Amino acid sequence: MTRKIAIYGKGGIGKSTTTQNTAAALSHFFDQKVMIHGCDPKADSTRLILGGKMQVTVLDTLREQGEDAVTLGRVCQTGYGGIRCVESGGPEPGVGCAGRGVITAINLMEELGGYSPELDIIFFDVLGDVVCGGFAMPVREGKAQEIYIVASGEMMALYAANNICRGMVKYAEQSGVRLGGIICNSRNVDGEKELLRDFCDQLGTRMIMFVPRDNIVQKAEFNRKTVAEFDETSGQAGAYRELASRILDTDGENLVIPQPMSMDELENLVVKYGLLD
Amino acid sequence: MRLSEIPVEGIPYDQLKIEKYTCTPEYAERPADLIPSGARAVVVNPNRTCMPLGAMWATMGLHKGIPFVQGAQGCTTYVRYTFSRVFKEPATIATASFHEDAAVFGGRRNLIEGIRNLVVRYRPEVIGICTTCSSEIIGDDMVSNIKAAKAKLREEIGREAADAVDIVLINTPSFAGSHVEGYDRASRAFVETLATRQTGPNHKVNIIPGLLYPGDIREIKHLLRHMGVEGITLFDISDPFDAPLRPPQKFPYEPPGGTTATEIRDMANSLATMALQPHAGQAGARYLERKYGVRALVGQTPVGVQGTDDFIRGLSEVAGLPVPEDLLDERGRLVDSLADTFHHTMMKKVAVMGDPDVVLSVTRFVLEMGMEPVALAGSSVSKTFVHSLREIFEEGEFTGDPLVINGGDLFEFEEYLKKLSRLDLVIGNSKAVDIAKELQIPLVRVGFPIYDRFGYQKRAIVGYRGGEILLADIVNSILGYQYPDDRTHQL
Repeated sequence: MTRKIAIYGKGGIGKSTTTQNTAAALSHFFDQKVMIHGCDPKADSTRLILGGKMQVTVLDTLREQGEDAVTLGRVCQTGYGGIRCVESGGPEPGVGCAGRGVITAINLMEELGGYSPELDIIFFDVLGDVVCGGFAMPVREGKAQEIYIVASGEMMALYAANNICRGMVKYAEQSGVRLGGIICNSRNVDGEKELLRDFCDQLGTRMIMFVPRDNIVQKAEFNRKTVAEFDETSGQAGAYRELASRILDTDGENLVIPQPMSMDELENLVVKYGLLD
Repeated sequence: MRLSEIPVEGIPYDQLKIEKYTCTPEYAERPADLIPSGARAVVVNPNRTCMPLGAMWATMGLHKGIPFVQGAQGCTTYVRYTFSRVFKEPATIATASFHEDAAVFGGRRNLIEGIRNLVVRYRPEVIGICTTCSSEIIGDDMVSNIKAAKAKLREEIGREAADAVDIVLINTPSFAGSHVEGYDRASRAFVETLATRQTGPNHKVNIIPGLLYPGDIREIKHLLRHMGVEGITLFDISDPFDAPLRPPQKFPYEPPGGTTATEIRDMANSLATMALQPHAGQAGARYLERKYGVRALVGQTPVGVQGTDDFIRGLSEVAGLPVPEDLLDERGRLVDSLADTFHHTMMKKVAVMGDPDVVLSVTRFVLEMGMEPVALAGSSVSKTFVHSLREIFEEGEFTGDPLVINGGDLFEFEEYLKKLSRLDLVIGNSKAVDIAKELQIPLVRVGFPIYDRFGYQKRAIVGYRGGEILLADIVNSILGYQYPDDRTHQL
């Protein structure tokens, strides 16, 4: 059965980079059939997989050519490692409703049979925060059953992660979606690992992976590649390989309903690690 | 006519000649390139109504079924008003009553509280939840909301009573289609939610009538009875929308009849499903075929000789029963009527408007009468409409080239009709009244909605007997127009 995974996290934290590198590692090292559905109106979730090619988005096609023009052949592209890529796209900034765009794009993909059963894993790469009902579409019943949150050792990233967990609790009861863990995309700040570990403990989840900061990620990005494609022998490729393997090994025990923290608890946590030096 | 000259009892129709003058030169001559609706950014005189209406119509056809509209009050009020105007019957429809706060915080609470109130006060057996534009846009997670509403019900009225109420979700964002699509989606939602198991053959035939009137559904039942076939009519609005006034009347009002949830569950066991309107009900028939192998027979609505022949033939085939003599007599009477009136109908130019299935089946019938369709306007966009029309033309050996509007508005239709050198008749619903008056030609009313005349919803146009009624309407309209006075124009 296809595992559907939603990736959330604060804007700019590295969701798309992490998703694409992990997807590439899953395909490259573990021979998994993977698909990435980017649910961000900016449509930048599949660039590394497709080698920098701008993808035709579902909603652009809908807007310019109408519903009948939305076919898998047009909006679904295959990139590195046979990874299938779809971008929802969305309205121009400041107009329309991006949340409805997510719903429309996912409905269209379901109608077209885009989430085909022979896939092993589908990633939904969702915009920053779950700001409205539309951005929770990927975790509704019958859709993604697992969520991973990308965070780093900064107050705002933790605040966003905690907020996402608050929204998740409601959906966990309704649709059965579970939190698989927090992915720490390191910013190289002091005490980051400890802070994240403590944060995860309080949420009742685990830090599934501490992804170290390494310039090779940026270098690979400049070359429009994921790390696994750019240099599979690098340490960073190993890190994504490890993350991929841990996601593959994730089972019921690690899939939890988080217990979000109160604002005070969160403040205390940051003060505790912020005042270390 | 001066105001003081208008008689107190009103102006007789033949004196109602309003002098017209144009305010601006632009108004007088409309730019030809803006007449097709596809070339305009605005819809003038829409030919259709919104998607939830179709789903509410469907739910009204269930025994103790109440639609619950997840949206603002207007979404419900307008539909109730339309139903009352057309059917002259009360329609109980619940609303989640969205206000500003629901638009911001989501409609979850409204749904949970609303369902609770509805069940406690009205004790429905089935609730059809119809979403609306606003709830679809704000992204209400309806599946989980309904689960929560059920949990709340169990808590309050006990598991047994709560589980006795079937709640069916029908996603009807109005921006994605018309009332026809709403009915189609409902047909699928109800069988998918309720007919979850195959338990053994029941030797019945499922009928999904589509947006047909109570009189039509009664006529279909008459045909089934004479064929000796037991049917399950999904969305049997014949009684709820045409209820007898006789005691005892229950309070709160509970319409009689309707399809029961048990019958819908049984639909998985039937011999076949006959969808009488390809655009309204096909989805349900196809679902049953895919899931349970219940054969789907999707044909044009049984209007006229060939339309009804197809239906009877299909019925005879799936049930393995011969066509009885009395039905052949009914058919013979219709054929006789056609022959008796042929000299009035043949070569008459006719324009047909309405829902796609009405236009298709009526066009087929007018070709049988030898009439010449010159403009055909389907209310909602359809992938098959143009192709099906072509098939009907071929079958009727019709070689004309009428204007075909696939989902456009009535402005386009009207402008085209005004430019024709000759037009004898318009066939369509009440939305065409102004057009027919403007052109000063008769309008024969068929399809939904008919709100400016009484009785149309009670009688049939389907079947052989319905064909005779429609034929009589058409012929009499032509006679009334061409032979207005027996003293000067003797028949």
